[in-house]
Amino acid sequence: MSRPKPLVAAIAVAAVAATALSACSSSSSSAKKTNGGGGGTGGVFTSIDANNKITAGAPMNPYNASPNMFKGYNWMQLAFTKNDPSDPNAVLPGLAASWTSSDSGLTIQLQPNAKWSDGTPVTAADIKTSLAIAYTQGTAGPVASAGGTVVAGSNFEVSDVKDLGGGKIEIDQQPGVKNLYFQRLVLTATIVNDKVYAGQLPADIWTQIAAVQGTDPAAASAAADKLAAEGKTIAAFSPAKDVSAGPFVETRVNPGEALLDRNQYFYAANKISPKQVILRSYSGNQQIWGYMNGGELDYAPYTSMPTNILNQVLKAGYTRIDAPSYVSASIAFNEKQAPYNLTPVRQALAYVIDRDAVTKVGEPVGGITAPTTTGLVGSQSDSILSADQKAALNPYSPDPAKAASLLQGAGFTKDSSGQWHLPNGQQWKITLQTVNGFSDWIAASTIVANELTAFGIQTTAAITADFATYQKEMAAGKYAVGWWLVALGPQTDMAYARIYGSADGYSVTNGQAAHDDNAATNWEHTPASYTVNGQSIDPGQLAAQLSTTPVSAQQPIIAQLAAATNQELPVIQIWNYTHVMFDLDKRFTNYPKTGQDDLLANPPGVWMMQGYVQGK
Amino acid sequence: MAATATLAASVRSRRPALTAFRKAVTRKPGRIIGLAIIVFFVLLAICGPWFYGRLAVDPNSLYAAPSAKHWLGTDFAGSDVLQEVVTGARYVLATAALSALFTSLFGVTIGLVAGYQRGLTDSALMRLTDFVLTIPGLPLLIILSTVWNFGSPWKMGLILGVTGWGGVARAVRSQALSLRERGFLEAARGLGLSRRHILLKEMLPNVAPYAAMQLMLSMIAFIGAEVGLFFLGLVPFSSTNWGVMLNQAVFSGGAMETPSALIYLLAPLVCILVLTLGIVLFLDAIDELFNPRLRERV
Repeated sequence: MSRPKPLVAAIAVAAVAATALSACSSSSSSAKKTNGGGGGTGGVFTSIDANNKITAGAPMNPYNASPNMFKGYNWMQLAFTKNDPSDPNAVLPGLAASWTSSDSGLTIQLQPNAKWSDGTPVTAADIKTSLAIAYTQGTAGPVASAGGTVVAGSNFEVSDVKDLGGGKIEIDQQPGVKNLYFQRLVLTATIVNDKVYAGQLPADIWTQIAAVQGTDPAAASAAADKLAAEGKTIAAFSPAKDVSAGPFVETRVNPGEALLDRNQYFYAANKISPKQVILRSYSGNQQIWGYMNGGELDYAPYTSMPTNILNQVLKAGYTRIDAPSYVSASIAFNEKQAPYNLTPVRQALAYVIDRDAVTKVGEPVGGITAPTTTGLVGSQSDSILSADQKAALNPYSPDPAKAASLLQGAGFTKDSSGQWHLPNGQQWKITLQTVNGFSDWIAASTIVANELTAFGIQTTAAITADFATYQKEMAAGKYAVGWWLVALGPQTDMAYARIYGSADGYSVTNGQAAHDDNAATNWEHTPASYTVNGQSIDPGQLAAQLSTTPVSAQQPIIAQLAAATNQELPVIQIWNYTHVMFDLDKRFTNYPKTGQDDLLANPPGVWMMQGYVQGK
Repeated sequence: MAATATLAASVRSRRPALTAFRKAVTRKPGRIIGLAIIVFFVLLAICGPWFYGRLAVDPNSLYAAPSAKHWLGTDFAGSDVLQEVVTGARYVLATAALSALFTSLFGVTIGLVAGYQRGLTDSALMRLTDFVLTIPGLPLLIILSTVWNFGSPWKMGLILGVTGWGGVARAVRSQALSLRERGFLEAARGLGLSRRHILLKEMLPNVAPYAAMQLMLSMIAFIGAEVGLFFLGLVPFSSTNWGVMLNQAVFSGGAMETPSALIYLLAPLVCILVLTLGIVLFLDAIDELFNPRLRERV
């Protein structure tokens, strides 16, 4: 670790002093807890940001690919998602104290004392600049040119931002566009300081945005290209200092850690207990485990870990917190490569793989064996599907005899030494591709390979150097069988788009899905239609429909998609992740508990805004 | 021709190679231990895998402590660590041996020819050697591992050998330069013996012990490089590879944080250390065989 030793000592002294003070003055401590106030009396809060490693020399710019900015601490939004599957628009307040939605857009009321760390107020200009920048970063439009009316739920479309005075701001949605998730997407957009970032934007930015939203496809395309080019400039911009509207402001970053001081101008500064936050750098899981073993982290986010490490960190005084994770680890197939184009083959493999055993080895702490494959995590499909629909799903419990029968029916043969041969007589060999550093996938691959080899299919695990190369090579069709994350919810359209989306040759325009088997991004190559329960369905079209269907009306579509996915197995879901976190109740207390899923979907900075995490 | 044969025969008769070797090895206990270690690992690599079947997994017995069933405990998948160490020895030693083969093929040949020929040939070959010496081995292997499959010891051995002969070539050349001024070679040249005969029959036997010593030193580096590459996780995954074992123990098993995976970490590590120790101890004997001053002292 590159952090200088004197600082360690200083932090230790500060932490000890804070602990001693709180121990010596129990009455003031309890008073502090009862009023929920923090006021920077809680000492130094130490953690890591699992989604954003510290990158030496990277700018304090949230639009940079590796920014030294940390969500919930000095990286702010109008609100923070609750990750609620029953209401994907549900959010926790951030810079916006309240909001009202209408067909034409959204009206927000800023927090009464919302200020930047330089003491200036957060204004409509900041919101307008931030939403304009979103267009340059691909998180807003262009999505609905040529009179389009319906869009998928990943981007928002804003036509104007108006200051109504008194901290009230009207955010207009592009006329004619209907986006079910407009509210959440706008409220969770990154908000930056207009004075810092406006200079990076061209004066005619909103004219460009209007062109993108216009009916002239050529002008829209040209404007989109221009915005994308401007986006690169903004992403590379390096502000001289951090101007934060969040509870903390970054004062120093070195390769070992980022130091953030409490922002005295934060709108709810009285709720923020830590006077400082230190976010440690890390190179891998084992380093985080080391920090935890030493009791150095007050909060540790999810890291894949074996049971022995879990026991160790619990022994070190950490408390485990579980929150839902709408992610499933699966084995995916490239159906352009024989024999994975055959449904019985994929089904046979599902019968051979013992998902319980694989989960025990691959993700013993943060994994729950997938009950079956539906395209959604188990808890979500359980809550959506009816009892009959669930009963109709094939659980693919391990059954080598059934697997053998399916393979024989597909023309496969088994030789005297127990090895399976393809219908053309060649011995069947599988290379199961995984990624360097993905320890859970690597360990799980060992078990899958062992099970398949024992069944008579020679299987070896192969590792790609990094995830970027893995995605590139997967898209290029280099892998026949490999690991893939699916069921990325809780938004169901996004979960199914993971299977029946761009990776499967689908593109969605104006709410209609088009399938192109030769699309550059298509590596799954599933058929464009399935016959399920005697009915022909287009899974990509159904997935696109989900994006424009309110949650309350999605059940019939999901039932069809779940049944199709379960029958055809474009992927085999192995385990569903649980978001396992750890807090240390030593220097701070009042952490959210298991069950407070809305808070736990966010980093600790957001908890602090709500009055959680108080110094002891 | 007859005179040279007599000359060589007289050299051999003064100290028959086998006797000299035996004497050199048995002179110090450390050398015997070194040889025994090397022989042990070679036998382990050749015969060890015969005693085991397919590597079994047991998801209900992850990182189990040593027991009568699993002498060195189990790994992340419940597989027997002893079996992994024994089975993994073959890849490590085969790669090291193949690397040494390729290194000796290129290094000794180029060193001998350059040292004997001198002049333009020497300059050309040494520039080539310098070029090879400037190639950073491990980074090259990391890059190659993204496009090549190093699952076979042949490929790994070839790459290590092709990039690792520079040092041996330089060392052999310096010996060859010294040898070519010796009387018996002047006599051979005066007798009009062919260049091939001089290189293979006169010079090679004289530089062989020195080359062997260089090769054994190279093997230590080769073992480190191949295990390191697997440790970095950049080559095909195999539970029975020592480097993969180290990788899994550290990065997945938390061997640095908890004692339960410590034996899994130590097993391949101790093997590498002991094998290296064996080579270093045995080198002493090789050194004596080569170095006339050491021979005279005893």
